[in-house]
Amino acid sequence: MSTLGLLRTLFNSKIVTPNAIQLQSLNRSPFLVGLFFNHEQVRTMSRVKRRTTHPPYWHVLKNNQRQDEKISSDNLRFVREVIQDKYKNKSPIKGSDLDIEKKEWDPKTKRSGVIARNIGVQHMWEKDGKKVVCTVLHVLDNHVIRYVPPEEYAKSIIGAKVFRNRKPLGCLVVGAEAANPDRFTRQYCSLFNEVGLLPKKRLARFIVTPNAVLPPCTPLTAGHFVVGQAVDVYGKTIDYGFQGVVKRWGFKGGPASHGATKFHRRGGTIGTGRDKARVWPGQKMPGHMGSERRFCRGLKIVRINMKYNVIYVKGTVPGPTNSIVQIFDTLLPRRKFTEAPPHPTYFPPEDGTLPQEDIWDSNMHVFGSPSISV
Amino acid sequence: MLRRAVLQTFRQGLAQSFFKRNAVSLSETTVTHQPIETSNEADEKSVSKQKPGDESGNTVVVAPPEFRFMYPEFLPDPAMERRNRLKEKLERIDMLQRRSVVEIPEFYTGSVMAVTVADANSPNKFARFVGICIQRGGSGLRAWFILRNVVDKQGVEILYEMYCPLIQKIEVLRLERRLDESLLYLRDALPEYSTFPLDMEPERRLNNSVVPINPLKVKLRPRPWLERWERQNLQGVEDLNLPQRFYDKAEKVAKPWEKYDLMLQYRKTIPAEEQEKIFADVHSQLQQQEFKRKMRRRRGTDNEQ
Repeated sequence: MSTLGLLRTLFNSKIVTPNAIQLQSLNRSPFLVGLFFNHEQVRTMSRVKRRTTHPPYWHVLKNNQRQDEKISSDNLRFVREVIQDKYKNKSPIKGSDLDIEKKEWDPKTKRSGVIARNIGVQHMWEKDGKKVVCTVLHVLDNHVIRYVPPEEYAKSIIGAKVFRNRKPLGCLVVGAEAANPDRFTRQYCSLFNEVGLLPKKRLARFIVTPNAVLPPCTPLTAGHFVVGQAVDVYGKTIDYGFQGVVKRWGFKGGPASHGATKFHRRGGTIGTGRDKARVWPGQKMPGHMGSERRFCRGLKIVRINMKYNVIYVKGTVPGPTNSIVQIFDTLLPRRKFTEAPPHPTYFPPEDGTLPQEDIWDSNMHVFGSPSISV
Repeated sequence: MLRRAVLQTFRQGLAQSFFKRNAVSLSETTVTHQPIETSNEADEKSVSKQKPGDESGNTVVVAPPEFRFMYPEFLPDPAMERRNRLKEKLERIDMLQRRSVVEIPEFYTGSVMAVTVADANSPNKFARFVGICIQRGGSGLRAWFILRNVVDKQGVEILYEMYCPLIQKIEVLRLERRLDESLLYLRDALPEYSTFPLDMEPERRLNNSVVPINPLKVKLRPRPWLERWERQNLQGVEDLNLPQRFYDKAEKVAKPWEKYDLMLQYRKTIPAEEQEKIFADVHSQLQQQEFKRKMRRRRGTDNEQ
């Protein structure tokens, strides 16, 4: 029996009329796949554009196109004074000042997340002497900018997609890293007019359940998290630029010597010539690598430094050093909270007592404590 | 932008702006043949070595310049993409905390040291190893050093992480320096150069102020070797007695322009102003810890008496 004949029997026989185009479904049993379908490609995401250099069209223009503004030094000073007057330092918000109707925490609550900067990697040790590589995340000056209630969020472009078949949830817009309003456009600064805060360099949205709502201008600190909990970290991976097939897809390339002419790091064949007689979509080729959205799930927090607002997380995080990441409570069902965390967020105690500066996980060896003896 | 700055300074005929980043004085690759003062001398000097002071009239304590060689792990990795001042500060705090528990003495490559480590598989639960430090590296809590010894005719090298909490004790049995910063050639040398008795006693130095340089020239075994030692300018090795073709190839492959490459040295080192700040911050803490240790030792000897 010819190969073609064999293949025909594998496909469900369907009458293809000249006017109708029908897709032939394939018999995908495992041994057949191994025998004949060694050219399987993941084609579902091959045509989706993964990266853009511009923000979505509904975003307001953010950065000022800096022109050589020939302002005299006196006027510059005046502008600075105006800015200072407008954004006078607000006193830190206490838990009692906010009009939160004390809502209870339940296991299905989704709390807000936090924007942080990945400042590097540090080695720490567990109590049995095992070394652990921890990522240091510096929680920037986060403030809640706006709350979008569920009904309104479900009508927005992204909210409609996310909550198409589910019950809608609210959305908290959180900003981090205050900056000089000079560098931003008027439209971007107007986003912060309601709150009366200095415009923030970075904004993020966190999906929250209505019982975890925070009023605008609430500060979020490292105390929002609990030592020992699991968090998910979202970041954009390291940008490697245009990379060849060996680095990008892990191809083996060709031999370095033994007479190989101009074939050391190339891809080799890209198709059979028989089947379909074209290059299949999703064929692995050189191209842009990195700078993609990725989540690292279930990372354990081993240490929190309340004084410097720094979280130490076990493992590594997507993105290069000094890049911005978003941290939020984990989605993994087995690592979620069993007890109530600081809900809806952490507020320093009212009686003025300072919190413990450095909180360690019970499993970790504290540096000031005596050496480990096994 | 940097290139313009470099050209400008050369045009002006001044290398003053690069004085503080002077490659020869700051790089760790070049061997300084001047003896280095120990921490004791350095402490005594530092009390008097106070800067004339800033505008407000307060005296600014500055660590002695030898700190750069005594505690090189306090300086961060110079790669600019991965530097962050807050993280370096937090790491330094952790390092000093660890140092308050365990005394990590001053040592150099070429010093003979003994390290006691907690080991579950040892009979006494502690394992002690004596060896010569052939290499040290890493920055921050990742700092490490390698000790080499020959035990039962078998060469043994162990890499220790300086801040690992399993380390109980680090003793320096013989504090000295060699003519090279890295003694990896001991692997190809005759075994007697790497053999040290495991029950070696700490040696007391008569002259406590200066760390001596041992001008020993080591004899290598006949080839094959693990590395091409003729291509590395090793000072501490006897004449290799190789055929001329080896030296010719070494010349072909050599990069003699690197010693003139200012930007290369700039990228490999932390600027002097930052180094001063870092060590000034660390110096006072280390002094306090040293003082506490001395008191504990004195009290210990008094109790024994």
